[in-house]
Parts: sequence; structure tokens; C-alpha cells
Amino acid sequence: NITRAVMSCGQFRNSKAASSPAENYHLARRRTLQVAVSALLTECGFESAEKAAVETLTEMMQSYITEIGRCAKAYCEHTARSIPTLPDTVVALIEMGFNVDTLPVYAKRSQRMVITAPPVTNSPVTPKALSAGQKRTHPAHIPSHFPEFPDPHTYIKTPIEPVHNPFLRDVERALTRFMAKTGETQSLFKDDITAFPLIAARPSTIPYLSALLPSELELQTLEETDSSEQDDQTDSENTTGNIINDDPGADKENSMLPPSGGVPSTKASEDNVIDNPYLRPVKKPKVRRKK
Amino acid sequence: MNRKKDKGFESPRPFKLTHQVVCINNINFQRKSVIGYVELTIFPTVVNLNRIKLNSKQCRIYRVRVNELEAPFIYNDPTLEVCHHESKQRNLNYFSSAYTAAVSAVDPDAGHGELVIKVPSELWKQGDDLKVLKVYIEFSLDQPKGGLHFVVPDVEGSMAERGAHVFSFGYQNSTRFWFPCVDSYSELCTWKLEFTVDASMVAVSCGDLVETIYTHDMRKKTFHYVLPIPTAAPNISLAVGPFEILVDPYMHEVTHFCLPQLLPLLKHSMSYLHEIFEFYEEILTCRYPYSCFKTVFVDEAYVQVSSYASMSIFSTNLLHSAMIIDQTPQTRRCLAQALAQQFFGCFISRMSWADEWVLKGISGYIYGLYLKKTFGVNEYRHWIKGELDKIVDYELKMGGVLLHPTFSGGKEKDNPTPHLHFSIKHPHTLSWEYYKMFQCKAHLVMRLIENRISMEFMLQVFNKLLSLASTASSQKYQSHMWSQMLLSTHAFLKSISNVSGKDIGPLIKQWVDQSGVVKFFGSFAFNRKRNVLELEIRQDYTSSGTQKYVGPIKVTVQELDGSFNHTLQIEENSLKHDIPCHSKSRRNKKKKIPLMNGEEVDMDLSAMDADSPLLWIRIDPDMSILRKVEFEQADFMWQYQLRYERDVVAQEEAISALEKFPTPASRLALTDILEQEQCFYKVRMQACFCLARIANAMVSTWQGPPAMKSLFTRMFCCKSCPNIVKTNNFINFQSYFLQKTMPVAMALLRDVQNLCPKDVLNFILDLIKYNDNRKNKFSDNYYRAELIEALTNSLTPAISINNEVRTVDNLNADVRLILEEITRFLNMEKLLPSFRNTITVSCLRAIRQLQKNGHIPSDPSLFKSYAQYGHFVDVRIAALEALVDYTRVERSATELQWLLVMVQNDPAHYVRHKILGMLCKNPPFTKTTDSALCNEALVDQLWKLMNSGTSHDWRLRCDAVNLYYTLFGLTRPSCLPLPELGLVLNLKEKKAVLNPTIKPELGVSTVMDTPASIGIHGVDEEPDPISLGVCGVGQPPQGLKRKAETPLGSPPEPGQILQQQDDDARGGRYKIRFNTMEDEDIDMETVHDSQAFIHHHLNLLERPSTPGKEPPSVEQTMLTMPSTPAPSFSKETTSLSSKHSSEHSHHHHHHHHEHKKKKKKHKHKHKHKHKHESKDKEKERERDNSHVYSNSPASGRSLRSPSLSD
Repeated sequence: NITRAVMSCGQFRNSKAASSPAENYHLARRRTLQVAVSALLTECGFESAEKAAVETLTEMMQSYITEIGRCAKAYCEHTARSIPTLPDTVVALIEMGFNVDTLPVYAKRSQRMVITAPPVTNSPVTPKALSAGQKRTHPAHIPSHFPEFPDPHTYIKTPIEPVHNPFLRDVERALTRFMAKTGETQSLFKDDITAFPLIAARPSTIPYLSALLPSELELQTLEETDSSEQDDQTDSENTTGNIINDDPGADKENSMLPPSGGVPSTKASEDNVIDNPYLRPVKKPKVRRKK
Repeated sequence: MNRKKDKGFESPRPFKLTHQVVCINNINFQRKSVIGYVELTIFPTVVNLNRIKLNSKQCRIYRVRVNELEAPFIYNDPTLEVCHHESKQRNLNYFSSAYTAAVSAVDPDAGHGELVIKVPSELWKQGDDLKVLKVYIEFSLDQPKGGLHFVVPDVEGSMAERGAHVFSFGYQNSTRFWFPCVDSYSELCTWKLEFTVDASMVAVSCGDLVETIYTHDMRKKTFHYVLPIPTAAPNISLAVGPFEILVDPYMHEVTHFCLPQLLPLLKHSMSYLHEIFEFYEEILTCRYPYSCFKTVFVDEAYVQVSSYASMSIFSTNLLHSAMIIDQTPQTRRCLAQALAQQFFGCFISRMSWADEWVLKGISGYIYGLYLKKTFGVNEYRHWIKGELDKIVDYELKMGGVLLHPTFSGGKEKDNPTPHLHFSIKHPHTLSWEYYKMFQCKAHLVMRLIENRISMEFMLQVFNKLLSLASTASSQKYQSHMWSQMLLSTHAFLKSISNVSGKDIGPLIKQWVDQSGVVKFFGSFAFNRKRNVLELEIRQDYTSSGTQKYVGPIKVTVQELDGSFNHTLQIEENSLKHDIPCHSKSRRNKKKKIPLMNGEEVDMDLSAMDADSPLLWIRIDPDMSILRKVEFEQADFMWQYQLRYERDVVAQEEAISALEKFPTPASRLALTDILEQEQCFYKVRMQACFCLARIANAMVSTWQGPPAMKSLFTRMFCCKSCPNIVKTNNFINFQSYFLQKTMPVAMALLRDVQNLCPKDVLNFILDLIKYNDNRKNKFSDNYYRAELIEALTNSLTPAISINNEVRTVDNLNADVRLILEEITRFLNMEKLLPSFRNTITVSCLRAIRQLQKNGHIPSDPSLFKSYAQYGHFVDVRIAALEALVDYTRVERSATELQWLLVMVQNDPAHYVRHKILGMLCKNPPFTKTTDSALCNEALVDQLWKLMNSGTSHDWRLRCDAVNLYYTLFGLTRPSCLPLPELGLVLNLKEKKAVLNPTIKPELGVSTVMDTPASIGIHGVDEEPDPISLGVCGVGQPPQGLKRKAETPLGSPPEPGQILQQQDDDARGGRYKIRFNTMEDEDIDMETVHDSQAFIHHHLNLLERPSTPGKEPPSVEQTMLTMPSTPAPSFSKETTSLSSKHSSEHSHHHHHHHHEHKKKKKKHKHKHKHKHKHESKDKEKERERDNSHVYSNSPASGRSLRSPSLSD
């Protein structure tokens, strides 16, 4: 039943996706569906059926499956996901008045007919998206059969040319109003508590982090101004030159440099250079002899 | 006694500490507890050393061993509860003297301590070979309230993931709060420090990290530190946490530590530390004394900077990224301060409290030199002027600050600072504000010495001191050289005279041995006939905080022909000084005018007085006297001074003076300065505010656009569209600061209706609207915060009709716009928080102003939510400031209570300190005003707070004392009912009679005073020779008055009730109440019985330990309890022993002896299970001979020991 449900979803999505370029494919699927309807009819004891009747039943079946798919997808999107999961489908079925509990028994029924796999047709080739940049290879801990990384630009931050938004303030105001409306608020007035809604002050467990660390936005701004105003040399200094840079001239530059990301730079390579007691490895305890 | 060989230093102890081991083998973050031991290696300096006094507070002591032998000990901390709470005195005079006495009683500088260990007789009877003693003490700390601070964020995850950390802190010598030691800056020894912590944590401490070893289960590791340089215990510190480690890229022996995720900030903030190192090493021609240096940045720091031997602990809030402008110089200053104190304060330590000024002075002075080098001469002089103004204002307001107090004869009566409500005898009794001013003055005096002997000599002196110390530090203990590492006033002055050959005696006498500043009033007249400037300099030396100055004073006169220095002698009776002028007035000749710095400038001389060649006159231009000068000269002279004098101090003085001359000429001078790009930016900033005030004074005649508007437009707005500000670019810091300041000053402008001009407000709103920081490489958070402050400044009181309730509907249209912006800013801050939440801070201030001006309803709830623990500390302080203000304006008892509860309970020490400080600055009422808030309950509450509620934090206790003083003054608060004097004194007959109207309430937990101690405050008693030093048992030299006042320390009364309190699960605590006290005659004649005195002193020694966290509520308990086993845990001993400060009234002891005999008729109920009342009485006579040590609480037994008087 699981496979069926998932399959139905898949069918639904496929049928939608392959509207015009893969008509064949679409038809093949439809034919499979027809076979399934016929099998069901046979199972129910029919020996023959009119084509129009089968067609109608197929149509109904398709609508039904489509509805399951649509409904499951709606549930899934409700929870901010993009791929429906089993529970989405189950809920969809329940919503459509189907008693899900009967499904396992039905699936295991003895007189079940096996339908051959749909004929292999060329599945519709999704036109290859224009790939940009070098795709990242899997790190060691991800098995190779996992899907490969998407194009870097889809997940790696790229500088965006700031577009001057004359309505930025309005956007900000609307955003904060929205936040204020959806969350807990504090008010300055007693008569009209909605007049100047303030997002409620919420204590945080480690307040200094947000107060001291620059926000994403600021970091981005910094990167942009840096890339536009500073030469490349300072960038390379930033990443490598911090630890063992003894060039006195670099100091002035350094003070202007942005903090280098949130990742502590690895000191592995410098360890052998710097002898600092805090970098030395921790010793193993001496084995005490039992008396 | 070998000590005598040490020049100038006489140890107050009968032993010398040479080495101390501190081992903390468990730190539990969950329970906030610490377990460990210390081992002190001491050399007795007397034959038969039988007692060892150490300092320890808060620690629970499990056992003490001396050379492997169990040693009995007592633990008694009189500062836990200063006056026993049954005292109805409630007057601050009484409290202050009692507090001073309590601190003296355990003062390590006088050889005292809370922990008295009896050396087992086997050891001291061995004879006179002075052999080494090893004192081993096991201790633990449970939820320490002082000394160590645990920060444990309440989130998921392991302690390391949560960023939990712990660090030591304290005001002055506070190491005793976290391990037993000799907590004195003058007792140096070498150290071995071991800390076992979770494997995910790092323990940072003083000295060299020798090795780090895993424990056997590999879950923990032990950090082994060795500090071979002799160091005083107060300079030892510890920080443990999951720190990120950064080895300084320039100096590999320097390591920086910060909390997780802050490493990028740490890298940036520490990137210039090496420059500070280089600077100090260069000027002192001396290497940094320790072999390594560590900086640790912690959350909830007690102070921003605290320096310890080879490490400094900083507030994590000093860290910043490269985008932040305003924090950068502040952080650099803090680092420079910390490093200066490494040389003077940590490496070289003070000999006594009276020498503190030398170390603070020197470290402040070399820090000043660093400022001069890094930030320039202008900044330096501006800073010196600021410091001078601060100390002058403080002393004129509060009375003198005395750098080098001497306490001749040790009597309280010789108090050198009678104007203060606290004693300056100990660092721990000082108000924090006073101490800050003390440091400020110490540095200024050091600068005066520099003026006198030159900087070269000054640095030579420092170098000499450091070389001596560093030679001494490498010596073995036996050479007795270590005291060379201690600096005294005497040694410092001697060194100065050796190096410079100059006598600075008068200078020292004036500024160091004497308190107060000089207040000059100057005026002049020009005598055209004689071509002489007749200068009159008067002094006010009668007001509080002033002193008379006699000696040279420099006067600089700028004439048409040039600038001339004159040195005048200020003498007793001469007020007038004739100064011959060099130039005749000849203003028709067009000639450039030479300035002091050799520059020659063209001036428009049309404003001048045609008859006089004088352009301006300055008195004491080099600030070589600690003074305030009020000088009168014509407005045009101030204007010339502002425009043409190159010294920033002169310019600033001119600006303040010009406020009194609101004329177009002043306006022009100020505007010119504002536009002058060569001019120091802080002067320009000051000019903005002066211009605003002048504009307001000239409002009816003001021509043109509002002040500064066109200037701002020209400097910062678009050419094509003058109401739109340019995209932010803060690359030029001077104009950045000006851009920030100008709107703030402009918003202070008022029109004829006393409202902020409409176009100014719109202009500021436009600045906010068009603010664009996207192309800026610096954060604009401070700028935006200032714009909000500008909005705040534009507010004026609302026009209120019949005190109507403030509603949205009747909101003024302008205020509505302001409120819109503030709401938006405050909400945006939740999504994109700014650095140090500066925006929120400004918004909270703005909201309070809106409330105060009656635009929105006055309501504390918003501030309360922002004041909660869990917000960034700056935000909390801003919210609390608003609440303090609300409390005063609305006279709200609820809010006052809320604040006081926070003072008692807040986890952050700094916040607690700040609340009290703000309440003092902006008090809900004062001693001179009546208020409904002033009532008995509040008096009791505050009394309790300073008496016992703040015993874990010297600073906080002094803050509480300050607040009490601000609210109620020195005497009994006026809101209290008339004192029902417990005793009626008949001084002639020396008899005191218990007031018959007082009947102690039975069964109520109020505890009555002992009869002898009630209300005999102020009785002048004869000094008792025996109390002054015969016993040497923690007897403070000034203790006489105290003795009479202290309601402490009397032997058990037959009429006491011992009551077990079952609320304490860990064991019984006992409360003793005096049951009934009928009218009782007390014979004052019987006081002086020397025999009894001595015995009581000895008794004091023999009481069981008092490791209690809470002040024991015991007035007096079983002294003799040989048959009473100490109950199972150390806690109990707390209760059993009373708090006997050694100065406890001996008289009273004796009284009680006397009356006990009479009082046998009194009933007594001991609810305590060890019923031993009967024994008690029987043993009374015996007591004088039997001396009982309660042994280690852990061992659960007590043992009899031979009397010490044997």
C-alpha cells in the first residue's frame, strides 16, 4: 500500500510534468492505468466491459489518484516541505473518506492480480538546467550513491548587487508590524494596545552573542565593501596570515580586516611553529602501579 | 627576627609565607561548587609559633593539618554581619565604625585573619629551631556569592556547549573568598596551582602552564601551573571555561581566550596588543616581568578590566569586530590599563594600603603615556583635563580625597577624613566612587611629580624600581629580598630623590598627605599708564574639599607681540600680581601675531579693546596644580582664545566660558571652530553643544537657518538634494564623530515657544529616513543610536489639559512621528540586533523621556521586561536607569522594592552594583526631603542589606552604605520612631539601666540586644591598656569606641534560648534569644578586670569555625562545650560559634560574668537537644581556665587543648 500511495503521487506529478513534450510517456501511463482498471474488473468477476465504461472508470481512477496526490501535496506544503511523505498521503486519504485501515488487508488479498510493469518508454527528459560553477563533491561521510550537490550558486552565498529599495523603510515597518502582530507584544498605551506595537522583549540565554557578533547582513555589507575597496592581497592575508604573520606592515591592514567567518581557523599547520603550552597535546596519565 | 633586615618592611605576622599550593580538584558547574585544598609553606619568625592566622571567607573548611598533624582551628568572620541585627540603632555613624572595626579585626595587613589555626603543641614545643611548617587545608565552596562567579547559561547541552564558565573576581584583596590564604598584597610567595576540569574546558591561571594531564578516566584534565615569581595572594586568579584559544600572532608567549563563537572578534580585538607591550617595555626599558601573559574574556564580568599576575580578566563585551568604530579606542584603553597594572600592581605590589596611591599612580601614569603616544597629545590633554575636572568636582562636592592616609596612634578619633560617611582605613570600607576618584587623583599627582622632575627621571625611577624587584624576584626566599618587590610611599619618594636630586617634599605634602583641591578665582585689570597687567588671584580654601595653595603658579599672557609665560608666587596674603606687558597697544600696524607654539597668524583685531595689548590670559595652563580656576576675561578674549590658542584645553575652557556670552560674535567663533578641520574633533563636538545653548539664549534675535543645519547639510548631505543625507561613509573618523554629534546638539535648539523647531525635527527624521549604510565598511549602530538620542533631545513637555490620561488619540503629531521611528527601530533590533544593542538602549531612554514629558502614559512594565536577566547588560542598565527614574518621579514604592529585590538576587554582580549606584545618583528621596517612601520597613531592609545581605561583595556593601547615606544621612533616619533607648545611662554614676519600657517579645524571632550593648553608644570610656595589644588576638588598635558599641560577643547567658531551626536540612542552626531581661542594673565600674579580659580574648580564639554563608543568628553560644560534640557538619559550627570579632566588647564579657551570677533566677529553655544549661552554669567559673577547640567539623569531635595562656 505504501508503494501504491507513493506511486500515485509520483504518477500525479509525472502526469503534470509531462504535459506536452512526452505525450508518449503520458499515454503509456494511461494505458497502464487502463490495465489496472481492467484487472480490477476481472478480479470483481467481469468478463468483458465496454470500452467507454473502462474509459470512464479509468478517468475516475485517474481523478481519484490525482486528487490523492494534490491533497497530499497540499498537506505537505502546509508544513513547509516540498516532498510529500507517507503521513501526508495517509491524511489525504482519510480526508477523502477512505478507511486507511482496510488498505493492508486489501493489498494482501489472495485474488490479487499482478500487472506487468508498464512498457519502458523514454521517460520525459527534463531539460538540463544550465549548470553553473563546479559542483561540490561529496565529503567522505556521505555515501556516493546519495544525490549530488546542486549547483553552488543555489546554496552558496553570492554577492548580490544591492538594489536600492526606496520602500525599504515601508518594508521594514511592515515586517516589524507583522512580527508584532504574530507574536507577543508590548504596548506603550493602555487605551489602544495595537497603536504602537512593540515586539515583546525576550531574554536570551546567551545575550552577548547576538549583541557582539555582527549580523549576516552586516557581514555581507562588509564583504562587499571590502571586495570593492580593498585589494586582493588583504583577502589572502585574512585567511592565512593571521597566525604567523610577523610582517609589521600587515598590522595596520589587519586591524581593518573583517573577522574571518565564524569558523576558527585550523592551527594544525602552525602547531609545529608555535610553542605555546596551550597548544601542546594533553598528556596521558601516568599508570599508577597497584600496591 | 630576620625580618628586620628587610628595609622598611616589618611583617605583621609571626611567620613568613614562602610557597603556596592551590589545588582545585573538582569544579561542578551544575551545583556551582568547588572542592580543593591549599598547602602553605611557612617559616615561623618567632619561637613557639602556636597560632597561625589566615584569611578565608565563605569556604567550608573540612580539615586542617600542620605537618601531617590534625590541627584545631576556628573560623570567625565578623564581617558577615556587622551589627547584630537586633540592634535598633540604625544610624550610619554607628554602622561605619562597627564595619571598620570588623574589617580591621580580620585585616591581613595587621596580621589578622578569619581562620585561626592552632599549631599542634608537638610542633611548637619542639624548641627554638625555626623550622618549616606546612599548613594543609581542605576546603570547599558551595554556590559562592563572591570571589568566584559561575556563568551557566540555561540551555541544552553539555556545560562546554552551553558556554558555562567560572572566574575569580573581587574588589581589592578578595582571594580569601575562594581559597584560604594570606590575603594581603604584602605577603609574597611562590605558587603551584592545579586545576582539574572537564576535558572540554580550559583552566587559565597565573604563571606558566607546565603541563596538562588527563585524569585516569580521560574525562577530565588537570592544568598544572607554576608561578616562580613571588606573588601576593590577591594577585592570583582563575578562569575556567570552554574557551577558544588564540595564540598571539606577534608574541607566542601571549595567549588570548574567549568564549565559544567569539574567536573572530578576539582576533581582531587583540591584533594591536603587541604594540602596547612594545611601548611599555620601551619606556620602562624593562622586559615584561612574567614569562607569559594571558587575556581571558568572560561574560558578566565584575569590572571591565582586572589584572592579576601574568593574566588579566576582561569583560567579553570589549570584543568587537572591525566594523565597530566607537568600541575600538575603548578596548585599546582597557588593554593598556591592564598591561600597565601588570608591571605596577601585580609584579610590584604595595606594601600597605596607604601605599596604594603609588601603584595606582604609576600604572595610571604610564597608561597616560601610552594614550599620548597612541591617540595623540590632543587626546591626552583632553583626557587630563577631564580627569582633573572629575576629581575637582568630586572633591568640591563630597569632600577631600586623601591619597596617603596615616593613622597615628591608631585611634578612630584621628580619622583623617571626618567628612566622609565611611572609613578610608581599609580598601573594603571605601565607597566605589571614592576609590575611582582616588585612582584618578593618584595618577594626576604622579603627573605633577613628572612636571616637577621631568619625564626622563620619572622613567628612570620606574626602571630602578622594576630592576630591584626583578632582581629580588629571582632570589630564593631565604635571602629575604622579596620585600624589594613591595613598594611603599617612602621607598618611592626616596628613589625619586636619589634619581632626580630634587626635593618633592612640599608637593607630596600638599597633594598626597593632604586632601582637597584648590579653587582659584581670577580677574585682571590692565593699567595703561604703567603698561602692567594687574592680576588678582583669590582662593577659596574654607569650603569643603578645598585646600590652600602656596607656591608657584604659571600664567600665560598672549599679547599682541607674542605669548609670554610668567611664574607668580602665590603667597599667604598677596592677592594681586603685577605683570609687566611687553607690547604697547599698536593695533594699527598690520602684523602677524606670534603664538606660543611659534606659529604666526593674522588676526582680525577689531574686536579688541583699543587700549590693551592683551588677547587672552591663562592661569596654570599646564594643569600643574589640582585646581579649579574661575577666570574672568572679556568675551572677545575668550573668542580669541578659542580661535587662536592651539592648546585643546584652552579651547575647551573658552567654549565653556562662551556659554555666558550669547552674542553673534560668540556664534561666529563657534561656527568657525566647527568648520575648522584642523581643529581637534572633541573640541568641535563640544562647540556643537555650546552653539545650541547660545542659539537658545539668542532665540529672539537669531538670524538665518537653525544653528548647524547648513553646516551639516554642506558636510554630509547631497549637493543636489540638501535634505537627503549622503550614503554613510565613516572612513574619516573625525567627521564621523561630528556627524553623530551635530544632530544631537541641534535637537536641543528651541524656538520662542520653547519647542524644538519644526524644521530641525523634520531634518532629523529625514536623516533617519534616508540613512543608508550599505556602502559603508563600518557599522552605523552608534550613529543611529545618536539619531534616536537626537529625537529624544527634541522632546519638550506635553501640553496637558487637566492631567488627562495619555491616549493615542491625543498624541501630538510630531510625537507620533517620533514614536513611529522609535517603534520601528526597537522592533528592527529584534530582527537585526545592533552591536551592544546600542539602538535598544537609545530607544529605552527615548521612551522614558516620552513618558516623563507626559506624551505617553508613565508605565514601568516595559522597562521591567528589558531589565530582566537574559538581556544584554547595556540594555538592562538602560532599562534599570529608566526604572530608577520612574521610581523617583512617581514615588513608587513597588518599583523601589522591585529594584531592591534585584539588588539582592540578580546573578550579575555588575548589575547589582549599578542599581545601587543609580539609586544614589537619582535617589527616590534624600535625607533632606520628606517622602512617603521613607519608612521603617525600608530602613530595616536597607540596614539588613548593608549589615549582612552584602557580606560577599565589598563593593556592593559600600554601595549599600552609600545609598543608606544618601537616603537617610549619618544619623538615625527621621522616619523611625523615637529610639526606645534600651539603656538609660547615668554617666555620673557610670550606671546603665535597662529601659523598663522594653519588654522583649517572647517567641517572636526578634532578637534582643544584650543589655550592655544597647544604646551605650558614645559613652566615653577610659582606654584599657590591656585591650591595646597585650593579647594580640585580632585586637584592632582603634577598638575602644567599637567595643562600647558592639552588641557582640558576650558569653552565654543563662537566659538564652537555644533553638534549633529545622528549616535547614543540613543540620541544626541555632538561634539564641535572650529570654527575659528584666530591669537590670549594670555596674560600669566592674569593667576593667584585666584578668578577665585576657581570658576572654583567649576564649575568642577557641571558638569553633564559622564557615557559614549566612550570618549566624547567634548572639553568643557555648564557649565551653567539651561534652558537646560538634554536630555532624561544618555548617553547624557556624551556628555554634558566634561571630566574635576579636574586638568584641570585652567590657561586656565581663559584665555578663558579673551578672550571670545575679541572674541565676532567670529561666532558660534550651530547646536544643544537647541540653547542657546546667553544665553551662557550672562551667562558668571554669571557663576562664578551660579553653576548648572545636575540632574539624568533618571529624565530628571536639577536643580539649591546653590553654594558650599556658
